[in-house]
Amino acid sequence: MSAPVSETATAALQEPETPVEPPRGRGGGRTPWWANQRIGLLILVVALSALFGILRPAFFNQQLVVFPLLRDIAMFTVVGLAQMSVLSIGHMNLAVGRMAAFSMMITGISYDLWHFSLYAGLLVGLVAGTAIGALAGWVIARTGVNSFVVTLALDFLLLGLIPLVYTVLTDNAAFVTKPPGMRELRNYSLADVCIGNVCGSPAVPQLAMFAVIAMVVVGWIYSRSKLGRELLMTGTSVKAAELSGIPTARRVITAHAMSGCLAALAGFMLAVSTGSIKATIGEEFMLPSFLGPILGGTLLAGGFVSVWGTLLGTALTSVIRKGLDLLGVGLESLNIYLGLILLVALSTDRFRTVLSDRQGVRER
Amino acid sequence: MKRFALRFARTTEMTLLVICLVFFIGLVIASNGDLLEPNSLRVLLQFLAVPVLIGLAQMVVLAVGQLNLAVGAVGGFAACAMGVLMADHGVPVPLALLIGFLLASVAGLLNGLLVVLTRINGFIVTLATMTVLLGVQYRLVGTRTVDAYPQSLKSFGSYAVFGVLPLIFLVALAVAALLAVMLRRTVPGRQLLASGGNPIAARLSGISNDRSVIIAHTLSGAILGVAAILTVASSPGVNKSIGGDWLLPSFAAPIIGGALLTGGSAVVLGTVLAAFIVRFVDTARAEFSLEPSWVNFVVGTVVLGSVVLGQVRSRRQERRTVVKAPDVAVAGGVS
Repeated sequence: MSAPVSETATAALQEPETPVEPPRGRGGGRTPWWANQRIGLLILVVALSALFGILRPAFFNQQLVVFPLLRDIAMFTVVGLAQMSVLSIGHMNLAVGRMAAFSMMITGISYDLWHFSLYAGLLVGLVAGTAIGALAGWVIARTGVNSFVVTLALDFLLLGLIPLVYTVLTDNAAFVTKPPGMRELRNYSLADVCIGNVCGSPAVPQLAMFAVIAMVVVGWIYSRSKLGRELLMTGTSVKAAELSGIPTARRVITAHAMSGCLAALAGFMLAVSTGSIKATIGEEFMLPSFLGPILGGTLLAGGFVSVWGTLLGTALTSVIRKGLDLLGVGLESLNIYLGLILLVALSTDRFRTVLSDRQGVRER
Repeated sequence: MKRFALRFARTTEMTLLVICLVFFIGLVIASNGDLLEPNSLRVLLQFLAVPVLIGLAQMVVLAVGQLNLAVGAVGGFAACAMGVLMADHGVPVPLALLIGFLLASVAGLLNGLLVVLTRINGFIVTLATMTVLLGVQYRLVGTRTVDAYPQSLKSFGSYAVFGVLPLIFLVALAVAALLAVMLRRTVPGRQLLASGGNPIAARLSGISNDRSVIIAHTLSGAILGVAAILTVASSPGVNKSIGGDWLLPSFAAPIIGGALLTGGSAVVLGTVLAAFIVRFVDTARAEFSLEPSWVNFVVGTVVLGSVVLGQVRSRRQERRTVVKAPDVAVAGGVS
């Protein structure tokens, strides 16, 4: 059956009126208002940063606040992109964090046992992530089982496998060998990159370049390449895509492989910024991986993605988190506010869609 | 009667029952019969009560085609609320348990209302409520462990009938039986399954899908309320980590039990049996003193294997019906 491939677990009940087509006015791309949503997000991010900056001038402290904040945003943007690439075909990847942990385990092995250099290890990790993602995609495409279940089971599997490997290969559940350059990459900012006498800002971490590269590549794939269009068409309607001659099974595998590769990159960024390769990498990835893309306007049902939106959605949550933290709101309350913001943001969005839909019906 | 027996022999439940028995006998042999001693049996069943309930809490929302990511958060929040009420505010035990149960049910109701009113995907709604409730739970207990609640509750949690059957396990079984009767025999239960099976057909038959969704989420919250009560009663104390590891098992049990993610299936017995299997895996792990990680690894493999098998089976059935309806072949040949 093709249905389980295209539908998320709950899609069937969400839109009983329009079971196959995504909500109108959103996926079209010709209507300009989805662009407004991103501009709205941008304004919100800037306004909130200004607000926090006025309330706590320390918010603009380059070394202590802005630098780690940007590092977080960069990492979680890559996490968001990893989720976005499967959302583009209407799938989910619940194992996004565990895929990061798996590929970092391979990277750690390459550093520890084979004495690879920093970037060779990264490459090995990316290949491992791509492979595990492709495996998930292959199982989904081959059996037609819902992506939610397959990635959930894979999450379980890796959750068991990774600590086992760590206990066999390491003493303290972490790979201690660090290749040269890792610590530098963690602390270096653009201030360390000079062209003549002009140096960059000390607030921008060099790690962020990985996020920029990922955004450029993913953005190019979805906006310019044939592959991206085929992925989005697969997300909109598997049946229509299949009838148009798109190898949908292969596209499912591609999307999941991309997701695994990006998850591996995010895992690498986390490993570099925390300075250790351990089994718990990526545990906290699941929630942010959905927050960024969804706030940025990516559809859960598939068929529409927004790379900028993912960056802005991630930036919004990170700024709120950091700002509330500086204001002295305890760790415990942060989650409450984040959850409420997510609900409010999505509800208003939904009401707008419903309203515009109703107007559209009346005009007809 | 004979036909019923034959039909049962082919179901997922039967397969699971056989697996359970094989597992159990294997464990008894591996432990040289130690497992049959009252004490080991009691421990085996004691730790089954809560997994059975969280599996059922997920099953009932899956039945209507929704999912609930907030199972752990709702349960943990309710358990911590009960603990704090009893230990810090001196609320009498029955009242505190009732309040905790109601809080969990209201949290479920809220999930349902949010899904219906905002039309946001249930996945996102429960992801958001999960985040909120985790925050509330952390705020309630902070980093401490609340354990200063009356001894009477703890003795209820550890009491076992004939020294073998723990009371809390019987409570879990009673909830399962009630849920099965409700889904099979009552009007709201049948309507819930109808909405899950085919929302459009259900609506055309005059069933309110919105009401079914709300009922399913509320039921899920109520079952989690019971799970929270049993957790408070049977564990030495409550802290912020209660409920943290409920999410994956809550999906594993119904999925192994044969529930369809698209809704419409009520597999109470399957869920209970699947919880047994997971527990047996854990017992086996302890028996051979292996790393705890093995449990997750095995359960992950079993979940993946059972869904793939289920898919193969349903595809084979489809192929049989294809002869009658050639259109299905075209639509079915995609993936």
